[in-house]
Amino acid sequence: MKWFKQTKYVWPLVPAVLFVFIFVGYAIMMALLESITINGQWTLDAYKQLLENQSFRDSILFSLKVTLTSTFISLFIGVVITRWMYYYLRNYWVKVLIWIPMLFPHFVWGYIVILLFSQSGWFSGLLYELGLLEDFTHFPVLTQDQHGIGIISTYIFKEVPFVILIILPVYIQMNHQYKHVVQTLGGSKWEIFKTVEWPTIFPVLSEAGIIIFAFVLSAFEVPFLLGATYPKMVSILSYDWFFQGDWSQRPMAFAAMIIVTSIIVICSIVLFSMTNRLRIRVSKGER
Amino acid sequence: MFKYIRLETKNIAYLFPFIVILLSACSNSTDNTAVDEEILLKEWDSYKENASESEVSIFMWGGDEGINAYMDEFVSPELKEKHNITLNRVAMDTNEILQKLMNEKRANQEEGTIDIIWINGENFLNAKENDLLFGPFTEVLPNYQEYVDTESLDILYDFGTEVEGLEAPWGSVQFVFQYDSAKVSDPPKSFEELSTWVKENPGKFVYPEPSDFTGNAFLQHLLYDQIGGPDKLLENGFDEEFVTNNTDGMWEYLRDIEPFLWRDGETYPASLTELDRLYSQGEIWMTMGYNEARAESFINDGTFPESTKSFVLDSGSIGNTHFLAIPYNSPNKEGALVAINELLSPEAQMTKYDTTYWGESMGIDPEKLSNDNKEKLAAMERGGSVLPANELNEAFLPEVDTQYGGWIREKWLNEVVQTD
Repeated sequence: MKWFKQTKYVWPLVPAVLFVFIFVGYAIMMALLESITINGQWTLDAYKQLLENQSFRDSILFSLKVTLTSTFISLFIGVVITRWMYYYLRNYWVKVLIWIPMLFPHFVWGYIVILLFSQSGWFSGLLYELGLLEDFTHFPVLTQDQHGIGIISTYIFKEVPFVILIILPVYIQMNHQYKHVVQTLGGSKWEIFKTVEWPTIFPVLSEAGIIIFAFVLSAFEVPFLLGATYPKMVSILSYDWFFQGDWSQRPMAFAAMIIVTSIIVICSIVLFSMTNRLRIRVSKGER
Repeated sequence: MFKYIRLETKNIAYLFPFIVILLSACSNSTDNTAVDEEILLKEWDSYKENASESEVSIFMWGGDEGINAYMDEFVSPELKEKHNITLNRVAMDTNEILQKLMNEKRANQEEGTIDIIWINGENFLNAKENDLLFGPFTEVLPNYQEYVDTESLDILYDFGTEVEGLEAPWGSVQFVFQYDSAKVSDPPKSFEELSTWVKENPGKFVYPEPSDFTGNAFLQHLLYDQIGGPDKLLENGFDEEFVTNNTDGMWEYLRDIEPFLWRDGETYPASLTELDRLYSQGEIWMTMGYNEARAESFINDGTFPESTKSFVLDSGSIGNTHFLAIPYNSPNKEGALVAINELLSPEAQMTKYDTTYWGESMGIDPEKLSNDNKEKLAAMERGGSVLPANELNEAFLPEVDTQYGGWIREKWLNEVVQTD
């Protein structure tokens, strides 16, 4: 309750909270209403249709696969780079270098990936000029492929710098003397990571993870550019249903997005309750 | 204590914008129908007077540089000079424009921001069904009465939907295939020959997926071919049972060529832009699209190879008309009327026909032009990649009910994609 007594921190939050409640809350409520009404009648038909729809089932599984893969790989690479380089990353120029991909919007980065890695792209052309490739159709299919390689790699390029941005301060402020303690007690590098670094970075890392997860699962532009015809990411499917034809498929589009929102909300609640417990333990000094 | 109070008053100020938004969403629901009808009863000259010094906003698809240049470099100065109207072009996809209007309609917003929209097909059907358009207004336009062939079916109907004066014809386009004549010596003349060609040249052909407008039109050609022309489809409107029972061959055909398509048919380009990119980089040897002269501007700016030519199949090529409409809540309806009338003038239409900017067919009837203009029109060169007018006219096929588009999309997914 101590936190609530510090009213001077609460009041300035009001605009932000209201903003979220009015705009995001209203939008979600409207989407929910649209998904459960068809021609003014209350019905769960849209959800029934969705679950029976082969395209949707394939799409949601594909989306989760792509999202989880890109989230975990980004987090992993981000942590590895930060661990190795946090000392050098204090340098301004090294930091700028690492953060270059963050300057580009996702859409632009997606296009860069196409221009570089498509079958008639820059790399394929280079290999052809060097005589290493007989024909550009022999170049591996890395964009618009059915496994989402193009999508996943675009997100990894974009999100790794974000992960570094988030956990770098944690690494810099970490009490590195703990590491020496583990070392003197004969602990390996892995034990240093497990006992000293991991408990400190885990809460921050999981926050970064949920942000990436939520973004990738529902973003439109990258899968639109780099996705295959089938299966589609759920955001594309939903966009198609929303805009196409006589608008009769709109309830399904809203239902699909409500399902995506629920997945994100549930994941966030689970993760936050986990990290909260950890935070409390850390603040009480029991590691 | 004093400190807290100060913080609170500050926060009421933060809240102010939200309160305003909430309040404004609740009011503002006056009925404008009567005012609209009054506008249409006025004399033409009074529109011109009222439109002078006003601003007209046209919201239109902005994905083609030639079209944008036509609007910005020709139409805009023309309107300024002749009518003292400032034209404000906003690039937005048509479905999103309609969504915006739909939201405004729900919020009872009687004064919008859009004066003219460029529209046809499904979008027009949606707009008409949801009462998003102002009118009927075409009868009051002098240039509509003078130059448009008002009896023609492709002006009375827009993809099977009755126009009823809610939109004015701006231009028309016909579907053609483009090919690189340096690589393809003898383009196919029928779907059968196309299939043979595709099998002989694996990986060099693909069509956009049918959620794309162009991909859908390609499949619609195949549908016509399959059931022997569009007449049966035109007669009965949308007849799902009929097409479902008579199109097994069509899906068989698509499954048959699929392994020989680009990327072995594992994926299809999501848009026409993507198809054109593949063609321009030489991954595929044919592309396609509405607008018989579309290749010209691409050849001129070096995107397409100079050896690009076009062809139509013997079974015909689908053409359609696209239109200009005025939203129900346009803030400057009189300005919009004057601007649309100007866009239908022989001068504006003939400049649009010229390949310098856009190069598409006119929305007005060439037969109704003055003799001078007829001569000028005959002297215009459309460029080497454009088929002769008589060949295009002979091949012309009308569009059918837009619901066939949706049927094709659904069915294609089940019959072609999910069977792998």
